[in-house]
Amino acid sequence: MINLKDIIIGFDKKLFSIDGISFEKGQVNVLTGKNGIGKSAFLLTLAGLNSTVKGMISLNEKALTSYSSKQLSSHIAYVNSSPKGVPFLSVDSYLFLGRSNYTNMFGKASETDLLEVEKAKTLFGIHHLSAKYTNELSSGELQLCAIAKAYVQQTDYILLDEPTSHLDYANKRKVYELLGKMANEHNKGIIISTHDLDLAFKFDFKFYLIQSKSLLLKQVKSFKDVEIEFDHQAK
Amino acid sequence: MKSINAYGLSFVFVLMGIVFLSFYGLLYGDIDTDFQDLYLALAEYSDQDVNQVIIREIRLPRILMAIISGAALSIAGMLMQTLFQNPLAGPYVLGINSGSSLMVALGLLSGIGIFNSELGLIGSALVGAFIFGLFILFTASFLRNQIGLLLFGVMLGSFVSSIITILEVGSHAESLKAFSLWSMGSLNGVSIQQLPIICIVFVFTCFLTIFIVKPLNILVLGEEEVRLMGYDVKKLRILVVFVTAVFTGLITAFCGPIAFVGLAVPNLTRMLFKTQNHMLLLVANLLFGAFFLLGCDVVTILFSDTLIIPINALTSLIGAPFVIYILISKLR
Repeated sequence: MINLKDIIIGFDKKLFSIDGISFEKGQVNVLTGKNGIGKSAFLLTLAGLNSTVKGMISLNEKALTSYSSKQLSSHIAYVNSSPKGVPFLSVDSYLFLGRSNYTNMFGKASETDLLEVEKAKTLFGIHHLSAKYTNELSSGELQLCAIAKAYVQQTDYILLDEPTSHLDYANKRKVYELLGKMANEHNKGIIISTHDLDLAFKFDFKFYLIQSKSLLLKQVKSFKDVEIEFDHQAK
Repeated sequence: MKSINAYGLSFVFVLMGIVFLSFYGLLYGDIDTDFQDLYLALAEYSDQDVNQVIIREIRLPRILMAIISGAALSIAGMLMQTLFQNPLAGPYVLGINSGSSLMVALGLLSGIGIFNSELGLIGSALVGAFIFGLFILFTASFLRNQIGLLLFGVMLGSFVSSIITILEVGSHAESLKAFSLWSMGSLNGVSIQQLPIICIVFVFTCFLTIFIVKPLNILVLGEEEVRLMGYDVKKLRILVVFVTAVFTGLITAFCGPIAFVGLAVPNLTRMLFKTQNHMLLLVANLLFGAFFLLGCDVVTILFSDTLIIPINALTSLIGAPFVIYILISKLR
């Protein structure tokens, strides 16, 4: 469980604060709020790449900061908003890099590593891309591969920064379905930020809004609550 | 994933090429020798026989230096290209050589005895390469443009060469001669007594490279991914610059500047093997780099009757058009 109590998020300066919230395994948590309010900063903080302005985040009842970055990478995986394709890096090799925690110091693949990569390709339906180079993929395909790479890392939690921003409608739906599947069938705790709310609300996810007036992260129950916020912004 | 056998086969071919070129280089030249001379020179050496002396004292160091220089500069180029995520990076174009040249020039032209010794020469070349490597690393942190960084390196080179010219004008005849000989750059300058130390440093640095292969594989995806996987990016970058500086400084100290090998060969191997697995790339650059420079050396032997081509001129002749090709195919 990731526990957040009396925390201020930001890059050195405050962006918003959290009174008390916790993220559990087996659940997709959706984070929303207007541009620049601090969604990415929040995810980076959870990934251990940024520190809180105030307060202590705890992961499994231990301070997040007490984990070394190596230890943290076996608990939490992070996918940034625009994964990058690299020439001559095949999808297989790309997915395999997600196994870096498990390979020996020279990065040699074991049977288990190869098996996990195969499993991920089946789950995400990307077998046909195996031999393709990552710079030749469409943004939808690349996004799926990036999530698959986070999956093979075998962490309890996966953080995704706007995983659907570059995708068409069909791919957006596919990503949400997969996220739901990972939470329900593989007991992962998933935390994403997104602006694709009308689609997201069709799924059984938990929703959180960073209110622009109070600068507070709050859970919201329905799409209506979110609309109130954006009506307020429009004025 | 391509099967390892496919890579293995091409490695065996290149290895055979290296062996063939080495024998050619050992046996032929201004004076042609045969296998018996070669055997005697290596096993039962007598300094009374001219052929044996030529093989052991002149050709053997040169051939080994060609192999080591080609391999070292190519691996250094591979490291720089991954570090800066820039196919146009290399120890020569980014001015790492210039760092060595500047320090060696300051040492030799100052006329102070210690800099004229072997260790003084290596030391100043390594320090110069490392300082310039860190300088380039610092510049790259805010100069994000790939071609911009290349231009910066070239400018650094011009800047250093003008300083060296000024130093030369004001120096004594004897130290000037020592430096001029060095700066011409050649594989002939190494004696058989110097080979062990060069081999030791080279092999040690290759082993060091093996230990950074794994983070380098991740670095291809960007520095954020390296941090996420639990590596200290700053340490990694400095380590890469250090390894590059040792390779480049070592070769520059003994052979003078050798251009473009470190840029052309790593690009060639990435294109040929279509992989970002740095363990494979390391082996590929080691073998292809050695093969490439050895091949250049044999070409100079073939022409030696009519024309003595400096090795640096030949590598530039092949390397410079290659850079232009990459520039054009990237800019399009």
